[in-house]
Amino acid sequence: MVKLRRTMMYVTGNNPANIMEAHLYGSDSIMFDLEDSVSLKEKDSARFLVYNALKTMDYGNVETVVRINGLDTPFGKDDLEAMVRAQPDIIRLPKTETKQDIIDVDNMIGEIEKQIGLEVGTTKIMAAVESPLGVMNAYEIATASKRLVAIAIGAEDFVTNMKTTRSPEGIELLAARSNLLMAARAAGIYALDTVYTNIKDDDGFMDEVKLIKQLGFDGKSVIHPRQIGMVHKIYTPTEKEIRNAVRVVEAIKEAESKGSGVIALDGKMIDGPVVDRAYRVLELAKASGVYKEEEQND
Amino acid sequence: MEIKKVGVAGTVESSDINIVIEPSDKKGIEIELQSTVMKQFGRQVKNLIEETLRSEGVESAVVRATDKGAIDFVIKARALTALYRAAEINEYTWEA
Amino acid sequence: MFGQNVEIRTINLSSARERNEVDVFLQKQNLILEKDVEYTLAMYEEERIVGTGSISGNVLKCIAIDPEYQGGGFSNKIISLLLNEQYYRGNTHLFIFTKPKNKKLFLDLGFYEITTIDDYVTLLENDPRGIKNFTEELSLQKHDGKVISSIVMNCNPFTLGHRHLIETASKNSDVVHIFVVWEDRSVFPNEVRYKLIKEGVKHLDNVFVHRGKDYIISNSTFPSYFLKEKNAIVKIHTMLDVKIFGEFIAPALGINRRYVGEEKSDPVTNEYNLTMKELLKDYDIEVVEIPRIKNSEAAISASRVRELLRTDDFLSLKQLVPQTTFEFLISDEAKTIIGKIKNDKK
Repeated sequence: MVKLRRTMMYVTGNNPANIMEAHLYGSDSIMFDLEDSVSLKEKDSARFLVYNALKTMDYGNVETVVRINGLDTPFGKDDLEAMVRAQPDIIRLPKTETKQDIIDVDNMIGEIEKQIGLEVGTTKIMAAVESPLGVMNAYEIATASKRLVAIAIGAEDFVTNMKTTRSPEGIELLAARSNLLMAARAAGIYALDTVYTNIKDDDGFMDEVKLIKQLGFDGKSVIHPRQIGMVHKIYTPTEKEIRNAVRVVEAIKEAESKGSGVIALDGKMIDGPVVDRAYRVLELAKASGVYKEEEQND
Repeated sequence: MEIKKVGVAGTVESSDINIVIEPSDKKGIEIELQSTVMKQFGRQVKNLIEETLRSEGVESAVVRATDKGAIDFVIKARALTALYRAAEINEYTWEA
Repeated sequence: MFGQNVEIRTINLSSARERNEVDVFLQKQNLILEKDVEYTLAMYEEERIVGTGSISGNVLKCIAIDPEYQGGGFSNKIISLLLNEQYYRGNTHLFIFTKPKNKKLFLDLGFYEITTIDDYVTLLENDPRGIKNFTEELSLQKHDGKVISSIVMNCNPFTLGHRHLIETASKNSDVVHIFVVWEDRSVFPNEVRYKLIKEGVKHLDNVFVHRGKDYIISNSTFPSYFLKEKNAIVKIHTMLDVKIFGEFIAPALGINRRYVGEEKSDPVTNEYNLTMKELLKDYDIEVVEIPRIKNSEAAISASRVRELLRTDDFLSLKQLVPQTTFEFLISDEAKTIIGKIKNDKK
């Protein structure tokens, strides 16, 4: 099964109401934030709250992510100590710039895993790249640890570093997005896009989602429940795509039943990426409710 | 654990609880609670606060809490935050 | 609280433009941004203020939400942030003055009523045992007697006039309790004012000096913002002040008389004294006004002392204050205070 990460909703780590209800809005992932949305004076309380939430709440199938503070801050190490033990699905590192950032975190997590008797490597991480240096090092970052499941671009700091601001067309982010995506694809991990902060501008939001989907991103970070449905709608495969994917999967099954190592459709050989895409399209279709497994058997 | 100063955590927003922990010269943990769900859960909220403090080795404290319908993990998290602030301790032993 | 595009900002109080923005918003709610606020935050939606709240000392004040935004948890959010700010400042015992019709909001947010004056004002505090603890502690200092008097004074700084008032009370009473107004809005800090009084009355063994913390309300604490007329403010302030005194403080010490300095020339204080006289009857407390003593031509007052300090006229000054106060005024400790007085534009 292909894991979908179309939407990752940001949840302020110090707000109990949000932490309790965030998983009810249908996003694929929820990200509890200990970093930018938590004031310096409340870092301790957010850490206690998210830790206890993860220990107690049942978030069902929704993937849980915790964004910790950078290890160069006074809070990062404590965040890591708490979160590796609380075991969200993924720990997200902010402002990653070099592969060493990842290696350091990897080692620290490994130490904690040993202490608590967890198999080293169990804890998964995601790296956010938010600076020109990070973008330039994207491939090295993406391949720095086996724990890495995704890299994400954070645009707000990036555009500031680039001496510009965000525009509706996103031209200022094109190079960074493309570079990050290539790094992710070359490393075989997920690529996630940045937030769109004006929650009232639906049209602008949807234009941006269409753009990043076309570029090839697996999904987008969202800051409001109303953005979730819009992303999912845009990520819903067309009927033609679904039909095509079903045919590919049928061809695979046929090849398997024949014990053949070669998968062919319409006389052409089908290779790895096409197979992967077919499974992904079907997962997207299932998640969007436009396709059910049993139709396959009709 | 010794309470050195007044420690406060949480807010009075919906689903949260504001907890103030003060040193006390009397033995025992004294809790004053104001709650939107006082009738149903007042006892439970007080017990949970007391339990959380006792598990950290607190024997005497005065606690004032304003509950806006917080569930257990929120109460526990806020009590711990207020306590560690009151005790001026930064190191917490996280459990896996 | 997903679903809001509101942003909460701390107001830069030294910026006239930002202050004015908040003030304009408050005026629409029949309030103003008071001069003494030390910290103000405002909730913005797309550069428009939709709510605000402030801190001054241990009081939360100037709190308002745009009617369109009421009921959305915004007031809880603002109060929460103000509470947190107070705690960071080390103020844990907090007060709110509000209109009685709004008290429910604060009662739900961890505040407890101390007392209410008709439809005008309710005073709340965030400690359910606050005033009870205060009076219990106070009652430990109770001394028996037939006439137990009290004086509430600021003494900025302690003069021969103040001493005369206390001496008169002492002579005519079995016990005298002095409450020093604790709020630090005077140029002489509270501990200094307290110390100078204490030293100045050492020779009177039936006089006890107390730090008038929290429940001795001074004029400046009282929010003028929801009362339009100046006279009404004085009247209602007096009513609140007197009610707390009569209901809580006097019984704790058995007080049955209150001394005040006569203040015929100042209409505000005069009005205050008259109202107090009337109201304290209900608590069987007699109010005695003592005429001011004069030195040559003018009455001795703390403001005259400060005036002389401004011109370094220590010779004249010596005639107005007890030796203990004079010694303080010529000490090193007093230098910064005198500096402040000189810098204050009158």
